[in-house]
Amino acid sequence: MLKYIFNPKSVALIGASNEPKTVGSGIASNLLKSKKKIFFVNPNSKKVFGKKTYSSVLEIKEGVDLAIIAVPGKIVNFVASQCVEKKVKGIIVISAGFSEVGNTEEEVNLRKIAQEGNMELIGPNCLGIINTKDNLNASFAPLTPSKGNIALLSQSGAILDAIIDISKNKSYGFSKIVSYGNEAGVDLSDYLEYLATDKETKVIMMYLEGINKNGRKFLEVASRVSKIKPIVVLKSGKTESGKSAALTHTGSLAGNSKIYSSVFKQAGIIEVDSLEELLNTSKALSFYNRSQNGVGIITNGGGFGVLAVDYLDLDGVKIPKLKKETLSKLEALEKVKTKNNPLDVLGDALADRYEIAMEALLQQKNIHTLFIIQGMQMMTEPEKTAKIIIKLRKKYNKPIICSFVGGDFFKKAIDMLEKNKIPNVEEIKRATKVIKNLTYEK
Amino acid sequence: MKVLSFIETRNLLKKYNITVRGTELFTEEKEALIYAKKIGFPVVLKVSGEKIIHSTEQNAVIVNIKDEKEFKEVFNALDKKFKDKEGILVQKQFKGKELVIGLNYDQTFGPVIMVGLGGIFVEVLNDVSFRVCPIDKKDALAMLEELKGFKTLLDFRGSKEVDLEKLIELLLNLSNLIIKEEDVHSLDFNPVFVSDTEINIADLLIIKK
Repeated sequence: MLKYIFNPKSVALIGASNEPKTVGSGIASNLLKSKKKIFFVNPNSKKVFGKKTYSSVLEIKEGVDLAIIAVPGKIVNFVASQCVEKKVKGIIVISAGFSEVGNTEEEVNLRKIAQEGNMELIGPNCLGIINTKDNLNASFAPLTPSKGNIALLSQSGAILDAIIDISKNKSYGFSKIVSYGNEAGVDLSDYLEYLATDKETKVIMMYLEGINKNGRKFLEVASRVSKIKPIVVLKSGKTESGKSAALTHTGSLAGNSKIYSSVFKQAGIIEVDSLEELLNTSKALSFYNRSQNGVGIITNGGGFGVLAVDYLDLDGVKIPKLKKETLSKLEALEKVKTKNNPLDVLGDALADRYEIAMEALLQQKNIHTLFIIQGMQMMTEPEKTAKIIIKLRKKYNKPIICSFVGGDFFKKAIDMLEKNKIPNVEEIKRATKVIKNLTYEK
Repeated sequence: MKVLSFIETRNLLKKYNITVRGTELFTEEKEALIYAKKIGFPVVLKVSGEKIIHSTEQNAVIVNIKDEKEFKEVFNALDKKFKDKEGILVQKQFKGKELVIGLNYDQTFGPVIMVGLGGIFVEVLNDVSFRVCPIDKKDALAMLEELKGFKTLLDFRGSKEVDLEKLIELLLNLSNLIIKEEDVHSLDFNPVFVSDTEINIADLLIIKK
């Protein structure tokens, strides 16, 4: 049923406005970028962005699939009833002033109106939704995100906006973005169910403060969906102080964080600790499928290798010993006397040493992921190495995570990697977190 | 909210293949002593009753009773001190590693099961793990492995590995109980003693809605 929300033929914005820096004008200008049939409703102005306005949704002669409601909270239910009369298929209620401020009764009524009118309901108290495929930005997010295969579900509008901005012109992008608000109608599980079969989506990314309702349904649905597509979640409200901030924020109870973490584990959801880890992990998953436990590490500095092993070991990632066949392939590395995993190809390594090492390790069966570390040394050849990585990624089809540690020296090489959908995380610990999150136990 | 009596608790647990071993309820000293001799000293005496939820804090439990003489003294003292009671439990002085196991209702997710290592592990380190019920074998093992002190349950410093199979079975039975018994609000086994051969529930409490 959500198809009318994400793929409407026609959209009405109720509460469209000319006034700069308002929600009504933000959504209006975003909507005009799509090729959908757009109607603006506002009884108080004749034109919005040069386009004729209607005094009510009922005045529109053509059919309306989706209506976006951005009017004062008090008249939302009245407008929603008009939408039912108009036989609108789905509504997105941007307006606030419902359960998040204790006004539960109005929210229950809104839900009833939608239910009885057989109309999908998103929100209230949300930022809206975005479908990048049709360039449909039915939200007041200031930017439209880059296209890609990540779907984002967020309980916070501000974090959603930040993620859109951070990811602009990067190597990854978004299929659908949803700010789901109070979930009076469509709830989190419904979105997961929809995204599970959405062709444009490969990874589901979530920012969560608390589950508003249907906790058991969420566990059941997420357990099923996570077997089809990876779900990555950042959950806030883990401390007592964090909890009270969330309570006043979205009107949800951020319950015992230990129980949430258990639910995520039970449901096969990848839980991360920070916004950065959320983005890095989702990016890697948008490039790669999850892989079995076993990582090979190649570095041109012993220190990096030791750090990587420390972090990975604590996170339960296996670092298999090199097999006889692998070691014999590595005999070509004459100057490298000690051959272990992590494999230190030494500070004077040129790109060719990386190539021999990578070929050998990628061929070992119990090495499922490769971690390539490079620091700046006199002889280092970042771009040449990047080229080899790109070539061998295609040849072996095993996930490769890079950590080119530094600044300007590596900029060009990192751009090459990212353009070819190979993630680079410029700090060892953060890179190991991505490797951990990519790993699953068979 | 209603606290179940020992007899009610034992009967309910039995339905889910959970046996309370080495523990019997008495009102008469003579019969209690016969049982104590049968299970062998040292034993534990514990007052059972609706008003006794925290037996240790209420001084309603005396451990390590070594012989007949001490047994009679303690039994009579407890009998006099606690008038409003179901009876006095005679319990074997169990040995093994201490665990806490519980069932509870979470507002968002419904029935949840908890397991933790007893003693300082739970009190100081809060070393517990949760799962939403129902759980399967894999979940049960995962929640044990998640404990920071999991290694102490294995072959550790000369002590034998506890019977993990039995422990997992107990967790599964409890998960089954909370799913089927809709009027059970929460359950506490604290402590449970586990060894390489047996599992003994030393203290149990079930609260109905």
